[in-house]
Amino acid sequence: MIDQRLYEEFRDIGRDIFVTGLTSSHGGNMSVRVGDKIIIKRRGAQFGRLKHSDFVVTNFQGKDSGIVRASTELIVHRAIYEKTSALAIVHAHPRTAIVLSLSRDEIIPIDNEGSYLLRKIPVVTVELASGSKEMAEKVSEALRGYKIIMQRGHGCFAIGQTLEEAYHWVSALEEVSDIILEHKLLGEEMIEYRKHSESYAKW
Amino acid sequence: MQGWAGNILDINLTSGQIETVPLDRDMARLFLGGRGLGARLLWDLVGPEVEPLSPENVLIFTTGPITASASQTSNRFNVSTKSPLTGTILHANSGGWWGMQFKRTGYDALIVRGKAASPVMIEITPAGVAIKDAAHLWGKGVFETTVALEQNRNKRNVLCIGPAGENRVRIAAIMNDKERSLARGGAGAVMGSKNLKAIVVEGLEKNKPADPDQFKFMLYETGKLLKASPLTSQALPEFGTAVVMNVVNEIGALPTRNFQQSQFEGADKISGEEITDTILVKNQACWACPITCTRITQTKSGKEGEGPEFESAWAFGAQCGIDDLDAITEANYQCNDLGLDTISMGNTIGCAMELAERGLLANDLGFGRADRLPGLIHDTAFRQGIGDDLAEGSYRLASKHGAPELSMSVKKLELPAYDPRGMQGQGLVFATGNRGACHETGNMLGPEVLALPRLIDRFATQGKAGIVSVHQNSAAVIDSLVYCKFANMAVAEEFFARTLTAVTGEHFTADDLMMVGERVWTLERLYNLREGFSKEDDTLPARLLHEPVPAGPSEGFTVKLAPMLEEYYAFRGWDKNGVPKPEKLKELSLEFVMEVVHD
Repeated sequence: MIDQRLYEEFRDIGRDIFVTGLTSSHGGNMSVRVGDKIIIKRRGAQFGRLKHSDFVVTNFQGKDSGIVRASTELIVHRAIYEKTSALAIVHAHPRTAIVLSLSRDEIIPIDNEGSYLLRKIPVVTVELASGSKEMAEKVSEALRGYKIIMQRGHGCFAIGQTLEEAYHWVSALEEVSDIILEHKLLGEEMIEYRKHSESYAKW
Repeated sequence: MQGWAGNILDINLTSGQIETVPLDRDMARLFLGGRGLGARLLWDLVGPEVEPLSPENVLIFTTGPITASASQTSNRFNVSTKSPLTGTILHANSGGWWGMQFKRTGYDALIVRGKAASPVMIEITPAGVAIKDAAHLWGKGVFETTVALEQNRNKRNVLCIGPAGENRVRIAAIMNDKERSLARGGAGAVMGSKNLKAIVVEGLEKNKPADPDQFKFMLYETGKLLKASPLTSQALPEFGTAVVMNVVNEIGALPTRNFQQSQFEGADKISGEEITDTILVKNQACWACPITCTRITQTKSGKEGEGPEFESAWAFGAQCGIDDLDAITEANYQCNDLGLDTISMGNTIGCAMELAERGLLANDLGFGRADRLPGLIHDTAFRQGIGDDLAEGSYRLASKHGAPELSMSVKKLELPAYDPRGMQGQGLVFATGNRGACHETGNMLGPEVLALPRLIDRFATQGKAGIVSVHQNSAAVIDSLVYCKFANMAVAEEFFARTLTAVTGEHFTADDLMMVGERVWTLERLYNLREGFSKEDDTLPARLLHEPVPAGPSEGFTVKLAPMLEEYYAFRGWDKNGVPKPEKLKELSLEFVMEVVHD
């Protein structure tokens, strides 16, 4: 089912996510929607070493024994595909963004690139943090208005038309978060350079 | 008004009755305006028993909730009708000034029914709505008519047909603001069949945003991205839409000589660069648009006008094997004045050239005959000689001469300037187009060539259906708001949603809008199914499916349509015959079309 072109995209982006520290060796997951099927990374597969056998093809909705091998977060991926126009999803554990999510309800970039790309990243709180219905509902609902969101203390979900696009938002989020953290550590007052930046909070 | 004006103007030309009816707010929320609202109204008004050129067909002019708000590119409007060229649902939209001005008259839509006994025009001004005699304008060109009716840029705007529409040419356009065009599918012929020459509008009402602060912020943010994008701030202003001529040619996707080749040796002579270097006088912008992609040009003979756009330069250029930019540009001016769709006109002439070269059409036509363009275009508009056949479009022309396979059309609408053998996703867009082969309803130039939003493999097929569907839905919602697709090169749906929220005061997310797009697309599909179209019509000319590209970067490729189509139906929640499943219709709040599915 998964053709060579699509496999290579999964493999290369998976490797990049791991080597850039956006997730641990086995954490996170990613998927694409093809027709009425979802192709998702298998549970426990190493992000940086994906093989042809590391993918599960499962139904878009409902009953499918393929779920026994699929990522724990399949339920969330299904909900996202159902509620949004996403064609690809990346879920990763970017550590600085996770740190910020512990004390903020939204991450608002202060750098130029991050402001252009993301404007605001909402943070949602989920009690049962992995593969729960609550998580599926809250994450998918938040992604109806945003291309990337943070789940407090857990990680991010990003959507796009391709895996590359979703990966871009994850990578941008971590850069945004690093800059916020380092600026805070520096302790100096920010000189605002963006007109209407106060409106980003309403984005 | 805040978003919607709340009124529909309903005019019956047979009886002379003029009526104002309230806009159904629930309908507006579901279909927004423009193409969506047009499709929804047409569903109720024009059934399968109606002949496109009969008085029972209607013309529905629609604006959208953001029209005239001053949001960037909020000038566009739409016309919906049943097409006399394809028999499908038809929507066509145009920029300029007329759409903004019509919205300022206080209407979201104008429905024109029936047929006047003699040529008339409609005038909508603060003084009221009137049907007036237009016998003195019948037979006149678009330019003369527009001047005679006192076009005045941002105060009084004229929409009209030329002789092509009057003569019910199936590829006739409706023109507005002199040289803008509701081009595709023959809406001009429908207007001609109603003896309606022109619609003149003057308005004073303003579309004021419900949340001025948020609107101002969105104006600023949108402007920032339009300025930051090299496409909208540099490429389009500097070279116009023909900026992609050399790009499409270099990858081997520029149809040449009726799609016999996919690269044109004379592409650089008809490119955006050449237009800028040799004939460009100045740029021009539609209302509230900072992009300024319109070209005001002058040929060596001193003629001046708008164009050519990329598609027109291709249609009279590569498609006909012609690299004479002056001849192409003057052909474009001529079509604007006569009221003809340049894509269908050029494509049909290319078809005639191949028919003649193969000895199937008794004529000395041949590729490269730039000298024949003025005569052929004139004769088409007036249905004289061979022009009477060209006026029927390429499919009927090629069929009459025993070779329908030489018509490069889908559902009888002529293909635009992309050879889908070099852009597989574009092939799926053309095959599944609700109004036929169309680049405005989900163009894959973005992802397959320009890396918008990301570059994907143009020869790949797996996963293409999803990307095509999302682009089709996105185009449908942009056409319903109504924005310009070029704005979408810099800003995404999340911007449109936030601007719409600021204008109307009603909350919309990006995915709310994408669902509107899917709803509109699906309703159009159902309309065509009700007309008798089926899976068999979701196809491409045999040449593109079976004749590999002979040379160049796309050498050896045909369109692998079958697997993409299967994936496409599955992605859209349609059955294997391309019929939307009942659960999909329910999800999209389209229960009222359920009987078509059950039949």
